[in-house]
Amino acid sequence: MRRNLRPSPSSTSAALPGLGSSGKKQPTLFHIRKALPWYLFIAPASLMLLALLAYPLIDTLRLSLFKWGGLGPQTFVGLRNFVKLFGDEIFWLALRNSFIFAIVVPFFTVSLGLFLGVAISRRLKGWQIYRIAFFIPVMMSGVVVATLWANMFEFNHGLFNTVLRGIGLDGLAQNWLGDRNVALISVMLVPIWQSVGFPMIVLLAAIEGIPQDMHDAATMDGVNEWQRIWGLILPLIKPVLASITMLSIIGAMKVFDLVLVMTKGGPAFSTQVLGYYLFETAFRSGDFGYGSAIAVVMFMVVFVIAYGYVRGVRIESVEY
Amino acid sequence: MAAEDRDRRSAGWLFGSSLRPIVYGLLIVGALVQVYPIFFLLMNTFKTDTQILNTPFSLPTRFSLAAYIDVWTGDRTGMFFGRYFLNSVIVVIATLVLMLVISSLCGYAMARGQFPGNSTLHQALLLSLAVPAHALAIPLYFFVGDLGLRNSLVGLTLVYATIGAPFTIILMRAYFMHLPVELEEAARIDGCGRLGVFLRIVAPISRGPIAGMAIININWIWSELFFSLILMNKVDVRTLPLAIALYKPAPMTVETVLGLQYAAMAIATIPVLIMFFLFQRQIASGMTMGAFK
Repeated sequence: MRRNLRPSPSSTSAALPGLGSSGKKQPTLFHIRKALPWYLFIAPASLMLLALLAYPLIDTLRLSLFKWGGLGPQTFVGLRNFVKLFGDEIFWLALRNSFIFAIVVPFFTVSLGLFLGVAISRRLKGWQIYRIAFFIPVMMSGVVVATLWANMFEFNHGLFNTVLRGIGLDGLAQNWLGDRNVALISVMLVPIWQSVGFPMIVLLAAIEGIPQDMHDAATMDGVNEWQRIWGLILPLIKPVLASITMLSIIGAMKVFDLVLVMTKGGPAFSTQVLGYYLFETAFRSGDFGYGSAIAVVMFMVVFVIAYGYVRGVRIESVEY
Repeated sequence: MAAEDRDRRSAGWLFGSSLRPIVYGLLIVGALVQVYPIFFLLMNTFKTDTQILNTPFSLPTRFSLAAYIDVWTGDRTGMFFGRYFLNSVIVVIATLVLMLVISSLCGYAMARGQFPGNSTLHQALLLSLAVPAHALAIPLYFFVGDLGLRNSLVGLTLVYATIGAPFTIILMRAYFMHLPVELEEAARIDGCGRLGVFLRIVAPISRGPIAGMAIININWIWSELFFSLILMNKVDVRTLPLAIALYKPAPMTVETVLGLQYAAMAIATIPVLIMFFLFQRQIASGMTMGAFK
């Protein structure tokens, strides 16, 4: 039915109704007339997406082949920006750190979130309080959290060093954000702290969506609680676990706010990440062509991960 | 009855287990670790810099709102957080309104309409979910500049609404597909046009899901830093996150630099906390839905 209404590929009559062959003219005209209101419905969103999403994306690809300082002529340089990237140590550091971020942060948030989700779903005493406590930081703005933690990490008067010195562990007091061997770890602690409640709340919903009769059946089989968790709960929430993991990986790959506020990529580029390097190159050094090349790499890395995820999850069908 | 059963049984596993104290210990310590920094933030807004630095754990000796008033008015600091707060509120509301209008129109057409390009549009939207916004930044900076909308809340609103639109459209489409079509058909027979049907029948009964979309999106718009940093160079058009990230009071004018910074952070955080306690359930379910982004 629906197929029949579509213009055949050989005819352009959809776009030019007057030019259709006489045999097809009637249904096509009718169809266009019927479709017209719908085009008006999608027009505002489509125009905005074309102008502010599709066009900039294509233009990033184009600019990555140019050398451009933002003003004046753009010089075509072919793939030279990418060749330069290949030999750029800071770029490799940024790429490496982005990947470390994307592995370490989700590993901790998802596994801790899973633990919390299971514990809370079993209605341990005070479960409402734990749920709220772990969820509040998720709501806070990244900049506030980063500023707060930067103050707590401060060497002379920050909360951490004050506590460590106070209990006589002066040796453990660190220059948390100023030591290149420690800074990346310090920075990664912050999103783990902030977002552990996110997988928790999602996994909790998934666990609570498990039908009661499956629990009853397991009870009748006399399973102990470890078997219940590993044999019943985990297999059933596996799709949700997979999607929350992917989502956390994608989010960590795009880290920016934290690095800007806490370290600006330093010391000695030990916390440089793709998003911040792109920002610095383009908007601080004014090298927009090279910045676009970094953007293209970042786009490809994120897109490959994210598109696999978008394909894998059917957004419409997930219901808990 | 079922719930009771479940509680009794679920209690059993930990009561009998030697792991129980460990699990409780982890939960309690974890909850303290999560909440204490926020408490610390709020308490520091009432303390002097000396108190913040030298006695971080002590409670404030006085509860005066002086620091809040100072950053809000900006008279002494040159940082007008009242203004930034208002900028953020305007951008959030404008973005939500614009995004929800275009997204529900588009999602509705995609769910109900049969027109060439419908499935292409759907594919394109799915693809666009996978695009990191950073990859758009450089051309957007120049394009928004060409439109004369740099340093303008309008420009920021357009960018935010576009970034949030694909996901919102996809969810709205899914919702409308599940919405029974009978009411709309009745209205059509009564001579109502497509837009009339949408405005008079569909939009009113969809208030709930549309509000849900607002809740999913409100948080990231309130917190967004990257595009605000790129597009808003003038001081008086800054949004709250940008103003906090670039916090630098005029030198030698105030002695409580840290206290004021904490007050500025609290100004960005308190509305979020209030919203959280008002809409806890909706936020949690919205986040869960959003997780399938």
